Amino acid sequence: MRLLVHIAARVGMALLTMFGVSLIVFIAMRLLPGGFEMIILGPIQTEEARALITQRFGLDRSLPEQFLAWLGAVLGGDFGISMITQTSIADEILRRSQATVQLAAMAIVTALGVGLPLGVAAGLADSSRVVRTGGRLAGALGASTPDFVLGVALVYVFSVWSLGLTVGGYVPFFEDPLVNLRAMVLPASTLSVFGIALILRTTRESVLTVMTEGYITSAVARGDRPASIVRRHVLRNASLPVLTVATMYLSLLLGGAVIVEILFTVPGVGLYTWNALLNRDYGVTQSAALLFSGVIVTCNMLVDIAYALLDPRIRERRGQ
Amino acid sequence: MSGPREGRLARGWRLLGGDPLCAAGAVMLVLLVLAGAFGPLLPIGDPIKIGAGPRLSPPSLALPLGTDELGRSHLPRLVGGILETFLLSGAAVLLTGVIGVFIGILAAYLRGATDGIIARFADLLFAFPPIILGLLVVSLAGPGTLAVITVITAATLPLFIRAVRSVALGVAAREFVTAAEVAGASPLRIMAVHLLPNIAGAAIVQLTYALSIGMLIESGLSFLGLGSQPPNPSLGSLLQLGATYMSIAPWLVFPAGIVLALAILSVNLVGDGLRDALDPIEGRRLT
Repeated sequence: MRLLVHIAARVGMALLTMFGVSLIVFIAMRLLPGGFEMIILGPIQTEEARALITQRFGLDRSLPEQFLAWLGAVLGGDFGISMITQTSIADEILRRSQATVQLAAMAIVTALGVGLPLGVAAGLADSSRVVRTGGRLAGALGASTPDFVLGVALVYVFSVWSLGLTVGGYVPFFEDPLVNLRAMVLPASTLSVFGIALILRTTRESVLTVMTEGYITSAVARGDRPASIVRRHVLRNASLPVLTVATMYLSLLLGGAVIVEILFTVPGVGLYTWNALLNRDYGVTQSAALLFSGVIVTCNMLVDIAYALLDPRIRERRGQ
Repeated sequence: MSGPREGRLARGWRLLGGDPLCAAGAVMLVLLVLAGAFGPLLPIGDPIKIGAGPRLSPPSLALPLGTDELGRSHLPRLVGGILETFLLSGAAVLLTGVIGVFIGILAAYLRGATDGIIARFADLLFAFPPIILGLLVVSLAGPGTLAVITVITAATLPLFIRAVRSVALGVAAREFVTAAEVAGASPLRIMAVHLLPNIAGAAIVQLTYALSIGMLIESGLSFLGLGSQPPNPSLGSLLQLGATYMSIAPWLVFPAGIVLALAILSVNLVGDGLRDALDPIEGRRLT
């Protein structure tokens, strides 16, 4: 019951945050110099043409009226149409989110698959000087290489030796899985390096912290086998911080990796948002902002709830 | 300066000496900052002079890193880019530090409604999609220095506020704070004299991480053409240019990419070393 109240409060807070982001983006978009009507008409334009456009798209109504109209439509599940392409925003985002979600999934699976075992190993073998230095260096190096530096280097290398992978040439996974994977491996690897470093660092530090706890000393004193100590005590207790950063990383990936999408011409949500912002496509930008902030607050909320479920100590504290 | 604090700092410096990665990072950082600060004074050429050599010419003795598409010498542009990246991200992170320390301590000490409002503010900033934040600020302020600093500050502030707040919460619960309260110290005095010095170490560590994030953001924005504007060089814009001519002039893209990665790496290594040395909880290790 207490947990339910806690969850309800978190959901309310998340919705409030999303509302705040939508409102700020709405206001900021309208404050931008060079509105939609200026951009779409190009350099030669008349007063009448501008008036026609603003009227056609309802931009002549007062700002609160426009915002409420947009909010009402979204709450009813209608995201409207793009003012530039005249196509449904929801359809376009849905179509493009396939590429974004696939990219994010590949990147986070790689990050966890490589980062977790390395991090645990580095944390357990910390008494070895080589492992300590190597683990720290690998973590720092991965976290320090900007995705576009890595991406540019990969584009260079693989445009000389293709090795069966392609730069660009994306097709949806369900159309041709092989061609799709060949195009997605490079952008996914580019994105995953930061994730590997992030997970490695967090896991390593988290394991190190757990190793200093009293219950590890008692388990060692009881004569438990090392493998069972690691499984039952170390991994279980070290998992929460890793869960937090992995979720943060995931929300970052789902928020659109614009630079990587541009470099490898992946038609994802990030690129769509980027172009919409440049073209002052108000509806698309607002929908994307709502979606991205929704992803971020949902991820945060899930972590918070997972903490309460996984760690009985936090549950106890909340109950008091 | 009281005894135990001095002791902790002294121990920190001793530990730093025994940490090869941190030492290497510090040396790299100092070299890069010196190169950025004093490099432009060296006789290596003018970073914005067009036609210093043939266009897109490969490295030679006179032009050690070759020339770009306008025949500008690449080496002075690279040096100028280092300065630009460090200056902009450094300024932004200082701003984050001042605002974040103030707000974080305020939230931790006053608790209640103030804390709630600050937490919601941090949540809101944190939930702001980075791309949209970047492009909105750039469109509102115009591309350039001001926009870059604003974006970095807005992006690093929520993380920094949370970190300061959580450390300050722990300090505020300690006995000496209660003792000071009983002795009649004003809230302002407690925050400035008792909380601030005790969170300084953690704040400095967080600032180095914020600096590395700031450098990523600065170069990313410049890469997209939203950061420092031509003809001023920045590591990000040099990379973007290099990527355009990558197949015919690979000498443009790699120096910029390597210098940028090394710059961020050096900041991260120093940050890791400082944290290991200053943070007493992390320092307690099973070795």
